[in-house]
Amino acid sequence: MQRLSLPWLIVLGVIGLGLALLPYQFETSTYVVQMFMQAVTYAIAVLGMVVVLGYTGQINLAQAAFFGFGAYGVALGTVSGDINFWISLGLGVGAATIAGLALGMTTIRLGGHYLAMITISFQQIFDLVLTNWIEVTHGPDGIAGIPRPSLFGYELEDDRAYLLFCAIVLYLLMFAVWWLPNTRLGRAMRSVRENQLAAEVVGVHTLRTKVIAFALSALLGAIGGGLYAGGFAYISPDNFNFMRSVEFLTATLLGGAQSPFGGVIGTVLIVQMPEWLKHLPESLSFIKDVYLAVYGLGVILIMVFLSEGIWGLIKSIRAKFVKPIARTDTTGVKPLDLELQGADAPPLLQVQGLQKFFGGLKAVDGIDIDIQRGTVHALIGPNGSGKTTSLNVVSGIYKPTGGKVVLDGEDVSQLQPHQRAGRGVGRTFQNIRLFASLSALENVMVGAQRDNNDVPDGNRGLRERAMSALDFVGMADRAHVIVRNLPYGHQRLVEIARVLAGRPKLLLLDEPAAGLNQTEKGEFVELLKRLRGHGLTIFIIDHDMGLVEKVSDRITVLNFGRKIAEGSPSEVLRNPDVIAAYLGTAGKVN
Amino acid sequence: MQILFDNLQVLFQGLALGSIYALVALGFVLIIRATNVVNFAQGDFAMLGAYGMVLFFTTLAWPYWLAFGAALVAMAIFGVLFNYGVYYPLRHRSFLPVLISTLGASIFLQNTVLAVFGPQPKPLEKMLNTDGINIGGIFLDSQYLMILIVTVALVAFTYLFFEHTLLGKKLQATSQDKDMARLLGIPVALMISITFVYSAVLGGVAGVLVGPILFVSIGMGSIIALKAFAATIIGGFGDVTGAIVGGLLLGVIESLAAYHISVPYKDAYAFLALFIFLLFRPQGIFGEKVSEKA
Amino acid sequence: MALLELRNVTSHYGNVQALKGVSLHVEAGELVTLLGANGAGKSTTLKTISGLVQATEGDVLFEGQSIKRTGPEAIARLGISHVPEGRRIFPGLTVRENILLGASNRKGVPRKQLEKEADEKFEIFPEIKPFSGALGWTLSGGQQQMLAVARGLMAKPKLLLLDEPSLGLAPLIVQNLFATIRQIRTGGMTILLVEQNANMALQVADRAYVMETGVIVTSGPADELSQTEDIKRAYLGG
Repeated sequence: MQRLSLPWLIVLGVIGLGLALLPYQFETSTYVVQMFMQAVTYAIAVLGMVVVLGYTGQINLAQAAFFGFGAYGVALGTVSGDINFWISLGLGVGAATIAGLALGMTTIRLGGHYLAMITISFQQIFDLVLTNWIEVTHGPDGIAGIPRPSLFGYELEDDRAYLLFCAIVLYLLMFAVWWLPNTRLGRAMRSVRENQLAAEVVGVHTLRTKVIAFALSALLGAIGGGLYAGGFAYISPDNFNFMRSVEFLTATLLGGAQSPFGGVIGTVLIVQMPEWLKHLPESLSFIKDVYLAVYGLGVILIMVFLSEGIWGLIKSIRAKFVKPIARTDTTGVKPLDLELQGADAPPLLQVQGLQKFFGGLKAVDGIDIDIQRGTVHALIGPNGSGKTTSLNVVSGIYKPTGGKVVLDGEDVSQLQPHQRAGRGVGRTFQNIRLFASLSALENVMVGAQRDNNDVPDGNRGLRERAMSALDFVGMADRAHVIVRNLPYGHQRLVEIARVLAGRPKLLLLDEPAAGLNQTEKGEFVELLKRLRGHGLTIFIIDHDMGLVEKVSDRITVLNFGRKIAEGSPSEVLRNPDVIAAYLGTAGKVN
Repeated sequence: MQILFDNLQVLFQGLALGSIYALVALGFVLIIRATNVVNFAQGDFAMLGAYGMVLFFTTLAWPYWLAFGAALVAMAIFGVLFNYGVYYPLRHRSFLPVLISTLGASIFLQNTVLAVFGPQPKPLEKMLNTDGINIGGIFLDSQYLMILIVTVALVAFTYLFFEHTLLGKKLQATSQDKDMARLLGIPVALMISITFVYSAVLGGVAGVLVGPILFVSIGMGSIIALKAFAATIIGGFGDVTGAIVGGLLLGVIESLAAYHISVPYKDAYAFLALFIFLLFRPQGIFGEKVSEKA
Repeated sequence: MALLELRNVTSHYGNVQALKGVSLHVEAGELVTLLGANGAGKSTTLKTISGLVQATEGDVLFEGQSIKRTGPEAIARLGISHVPEGRRIFPGLTVRENILLGASNRKGVPRKQLEKEADEKFEIFPEIKPFSGALGWTLSGGQQQMLAVARGLMAKPKLLLLDEPSLGLAPLIVQNLFATIRQIRTGGMTILLVEQNANMALQVADRAYVMETGVIVTSGPADELSQTEDIKRAYLGG
């Protein structure tokens, strides 16, 4: 994420203030004020969508329900319960947040289409309850006479005063949401969006992150709704139905889901669009009648032609004029400190009788491997022999069918991948899994923020550690490049830096040299040797026997899910069984 | 005794209603299998079919069955347009843009129809000119009967088409492994177009069937689509049999619950059933437990 | 004129340059094998021929015509049948249906004729005949491989591309499979065989190419190559 500099912030602030004060400058009708009120309160709800959809990549089609929680909280509290506005708002926001937590919990096993359906169902049930639970919600008639609050003794009764207040709230929240991506939580969210599996394995508690995202989205939605109720003094269920959720979604996408500024721009456009259509010349006035149809068509066109939204367009135009940082200043980067371990302690990792079956397929069928501290241990074997499956069981992506994985004397077989990462298991993937639209530095910072990593709190410590890790692999000067734009070999290195920043006890490398050219392979061998020099324990899968022979202390060979040989490189690579497994059976074609 | 009759009566209506869900759910599943996309405009296919009937039969006063045929032909053409307008440009993107694109299509369709036909719900003639028959104290409305009959016929046809023709097999192959289908020379883009056409026609039939019962209105598709989608999850995501069984089950649950518990929340029972399934059996009735192998 | 010719072909797989100027040719009636370690670019070579991956530079000629810009469906219709790695059986279709769909590249052949040809395939692969009505996914790995080859043959191809047919199969089944491949070749089929099982492949092939990180490093008659250290080097890096 691009940081805005201070002058820009001031400019934005001034523009924003000017816009908020617009109603003061002209003698405007109530109608115009109401339109602004709508735009401002909707925009707050859209900020919630930016968090959950834009940052975390989770679809939410129930934002209008959360908006409704806030609105009905205020309406019921003040009108039916005769409670203070702020307390009512707090209750509504609290209820929405709890609902958001519950909805977020469903992502434990359901994503994608299911999540879309769950949120729609939630939205529909909310709508039904509003309409039918007449004793409480007043049903389709809605609730009228909602009062406005006072703030520090100042009554916000006046339209323009209240609007100004709402605009200030929007501003504060907008900057909070803008700030979020560069916090621990924000980076975790974006890593979930980019690659959930990698995020989990690197140590992000992905479920918790998604639940928090939903809760925040609900909270923001409810604040917007509460202010809306105060602004319009009257609410009814049709302000909070599925169509409104779609409207919030459209505003988010139109503006650009990944930026709060984009979200606000999108909201303003969506709210204003019907207004502009009124000023169309007579010959085009038919568009007014089909406004919503045009709107639907617009959604499709945005998806096809403007996938990053207006903010994305602005950014891509900006990128044409502003050169990105090509070289990051690397002065003052500290050397990476990798933990040293006593070589005489018991094995760091013990794999005991490990089995992993997929239906009838016995991918791994009872293997035992001990990995000694401070050694490089290679796992080789022909395609389909169970190597990657073994690694997946060790890192927690799969739960074993039988047997145990013991790390440092602790049975970790049933732990989640992020819990294992928190205990010092780091890994890379066969087909690189980076967070593609994050910078190299941000990728590595996610690695540094695993549980139990001894980095000082706050971004500074994480950044320092990440820079050290990047420096270790020789990528420090490319720290600010979006990893998607890096060449393949460099992406490999960033992935390794991401693991190293978490200072792992055990490093699992799945075909790290695949796709590298000879020079890069040579450099990679040097890197591995340096890592071993620092006392790191490494478990590596690779097909390049030259490389394996050069770097490993011990080799285990698998075939058909079973161990067929183990020993030093010179023993194993001369073993006739191993040669036969690789070259194929010595049998004759009949 | 009367209670039993009443319950049977409700069951009958539930099955008819469930048939509609099943038809739309079937359309859903065919598209999910072919494109891996949930089409949020699926319900609007039913709405369009019903309005097609309003146009050809009520407005233009064509004979019923001719109008019916014309409505289905229109739906078939619409299926192709929908594929190329809504799905095809986004086929290489992730599910989210496509899903949102179909949502946009849904808004577009509903409001275009609104602009043409106006907001007033339209009545639609029943298929047959009789009210229905009375069997042992249970009244079987002719339209409900037709819904059941046509649904059975369509499900049977779908089964024969997919299981006993080479074209059906090619469609299945396309949905199971597109690259392999391509390597065998199966024209994948055409197969997907055919799927959309078939799905649109199924939706259209459902709309024509349900029109006389619900009145033809702009929003009729939305609620049917949500229930149908719930049916596909209850039956087993992407499973054809599951979609049909899930649809029927939902129709019955909904009717019985509305009869015995409370009518205003009629629409909520389906979602409640959905939540219960998602909590305790997220793979649905016929779904395999989602394979772990990455 | 060679049946198939690759001229200095470059292609990318994701963001990796998988082929870095590959040239090879297959004459009509030949069985040519392409050997090399994992990740050498063998599968990408086949995918580039069948159109699943587009060549970025160089040219792919089939019967003298460039097919570099032709899509996979059209290439199948020209007479190239690709039996991909991992067999790619349609899991929800029966064995017989899988075989029948192999002929999708041929236009206007009556169903009856296809059924007859399917029966002939069961004669070549008697192991799968008893499972004719079983769904694809229920077959064992070896049976699936037989089925994949049978399906490939239904296309009546001029050129058959086989990608790692021995992958994950037990030794006895591999021997059986290669005997069948030899039999198909004796029947006049032109085959380009990608294999990691070098011993077996060299026994049935006329000629062989050895690939390493996207380039061809060695080529020659199969019986000569099997005597050299190059093969061992390609696999064990020694």
